[in-house]
Amino acid sequence: MATQETQLLDDILVRSRRKMLSLGGAALAGLMLADAKPAQAATTYTDADILNFALNLEYLEANFYYLAAFGCTIDKPNAAAIAAGAPSAGIPITGSVGTAGTVTVSGTTKVPFGTDYATAAYANETAIEEGKHVLFLQTALGSSTYVAQPAINLDAAAGGAWPTLATAAGVAGGSGFSPYTSNLNFLLGAYVFEDVGVTAYHGAASLLTNGGNLSAAGGILAVEAYHAGLVRTAIFAQDPSSTSIGAIAGQISALRSALALAASPVTLTGTAATLPTLDPNPDDFGTAVFPVTLAGVTSYMGARVVDSDTTDTTNPIPLAIAFARNTTQVLNIVTGGGAISGKTVVSPAKGVFFPNGLNAGPNGFK
Amino acid sequence: MNINKTIDKALSRRNFLVGAGTTAATVAAATLVAGCGNDNNNSGSSGGTTSYSDTDILNFALNLEYLEASFYLYAATGSGLAATDTTAGSASGYSTVGTVTQGSAAKVAGTTTTQQQIINEIAFEEQQHVKALRFLLGTKAVPMPNIDLSFFGPLATAAGITGATFNPFASFDAFLIGAFIFEDVGVTAYLGAAPLISAAGVSVGYLSDAAGILAVEAYHAAYIRTALTANAVKAGATSPTSSAYPYPGIANQVGALRATLTVGNSGAPGSSNTGNSGAAGSSASVEVPLTVPTSATSISSIVAADSKSAIAFGRTTNQVLHIVYGSATVGAKSGGFFPSGINSVFATTTA
Repeated sequence: MATQETQLLDDILVRSRRKMLSLGGAALAGLMLADAKPAQAATTYTDADILNFALNLEYLEANFYYLAAFGCTIDKPNAAAIAAGAPSAGIPITGSVGTAGTVTVSGTTKVPFGTDYATAAYANETAIEEGKHVLFLQTALGSSTYVAQPAINLDAAAGGAWPTLATAAGVAGGSGFSPYTSNLNFLLGAYVFEDVGVTAYHGAASLLTNGGNLSAAGGILAVEAYHAGLVRTAIFAQDPSSTSIGAIAGQISALRSALALAASPVTLTGTAATLPTLDPNPDDFGTAVFPVTLAGVTSYMGARVVDSDTTDTTNPIPLAIAFARNTTQVLNIVTGGGAISGKTVVSPAKGVFFPNGLNAGPNGFK
Repeated sequence: MNINKTIDKALSRRNFLVGAGTTAATVAAATLVAGCGNDNNNSGSSGGTTSYSDTDILNFALNLEYLEASFYLYAATGSGLAATDTTAGSASGYSTVGTVTQGSAAKVAGTTTTQQQIINEIAFEEQQHVKALRFLLGTKAVPMPNIDLSFFGPLATAAGITGATFNPFASFDAFLIGAFIFEDVGVTAYLGAAPLISAAGVSVGYLSDAAGILAVEAYHAAYIRTALTANAVKAGATSPTSSAYPYPGIANQVGALRATLTVGNSGAPGSSNTGNSGAAGSSASVEVPLTVPTSATSISSIVAADSKSAIAFGRTTNQVLHIVYGSATVGAKSGGFFPSGINSVFATTTA
């Protein structure tokens, strides 16, 4: 039913309505503010700030998958990516905002998938898709607006992001953890990012004011959820009893959950009712099975391919809706706690994957 | 206020173009009277035009969730939704609760513990989506419409799937095909509907809820596509139609049928700033066929997204209905999985 014209009209309508709300309609505007903005670092952000926040995360994800699948960073031309549609000169990392940073990494990163063609193909597909997300966001933002790639650490050597994170999660032998050494470790590395991508896009969706941007963000959200579903499916297939890599996935989820809680409005302000669109903690689950009630019967066990809210006590029922996180929570996760000191927000947040913090405009999220 | 005028103008034009809302007048009027801040009419309070409300959008989704939840619950347990999850809200405008034509619907045969846990999980989450939407809609929740789970056979025939009558409850592999019919559609339906939610609906959290359900549908779709791909590799299949494991090929036949049912029914590609050639309303196919990896340089096809920017597709309400009605006919108002249509202002396809 929709034509190009109706689509454009939709865009106008969405924008205009939101504008109207922000100009008047006190009650609704109040709701909107209460709903969307607490604990966001910036006060007068634009869609560009939100998309640039996403672009920082996509630089990180794309580089990880490129390193694992192709053995090089996104700015270097490589035949496999080019064959799949990447620019022949590599993906641009120099933007108009911030200085282009390098990716710290050492040794061989191309994962030895051997004859595990399925996991190799997942890595190749995901690398290409995350690379396209970088390119898409750069194009959508425009050359004068998009941020440069920030300094990124994806190192598995001592003191690098991976062992630091694995140690923080309490993974046995975590100080030697590398996502580049085996197909299973690669899945765990991917696990670290994907559900976070879902929560970040979910949290940001309601903040966007342009209908076209919203559609695009929704579409990327879906793709991040496909990726997350893929990774969780693969881990569950390898370890349905959750005793080996499934157990480690659980530890990673617990760490993310703790970092999100430390940066949640509840913790920061000490009041519970500030942010109805975000979920109570825990806001992250591993791949271990859990009890489910089907048509009133309680004797069933379900897998957990979906990382969704099944314990929400603020509603009469668990809604099976994916989690959302605000930018501070996401920053605290990707910097390994760098966004919070006690009950105070630290900006710019630095650490782990982003040693110098994110690149952002004056009102952007960092 | 000028903005009001702009909105009214745009809405009138939009409604004229869409032509979907003419039967919505009574529902729209009812929501205006109720007007409790979490129920926002998309026609604008001063426009007087007939259109859909956020309630209508959520109820459209609820109809689809009734179908999905019924399918998965039968697959998991051998029976459907609890009666309390199917009732008519007192202000829904509907009073009759539909029934499920079971066909061969039953607990999926011969599953392993792990496979059973997967079915249980998806059944649980789709059931919770029914509960979630009914919770959000309150007294305006429409009842479950009549659902026909014996439609899998005719649908498979239409897709060109040969052999014995297709039964998604006969084995776990067949179940994956049954699930494949719904899951990517769920993703595209939520993606197509999300931008229709009003600004006031956004502020009370409807958009966030829809986005959260969208994500869960994408997780499910990823499971189905990953399982089909991984099983094929494990079985030594070298192509989607390989006799070692032919199910990816069967899923692709389903995808091709979905494309046939929707392509050409709706206008031009959507807003150019999405970079998405398959935005809601696109006349291009939004199907991404499964592939089978055969080497370390293979690229899998788990994600159903456009090839340029890796952004998932949206479908309009009409396109979604063409699929679940099993009919490409414009003006169709029932059929396929919904023998009496859906309980919605969108029930009749208009494009």
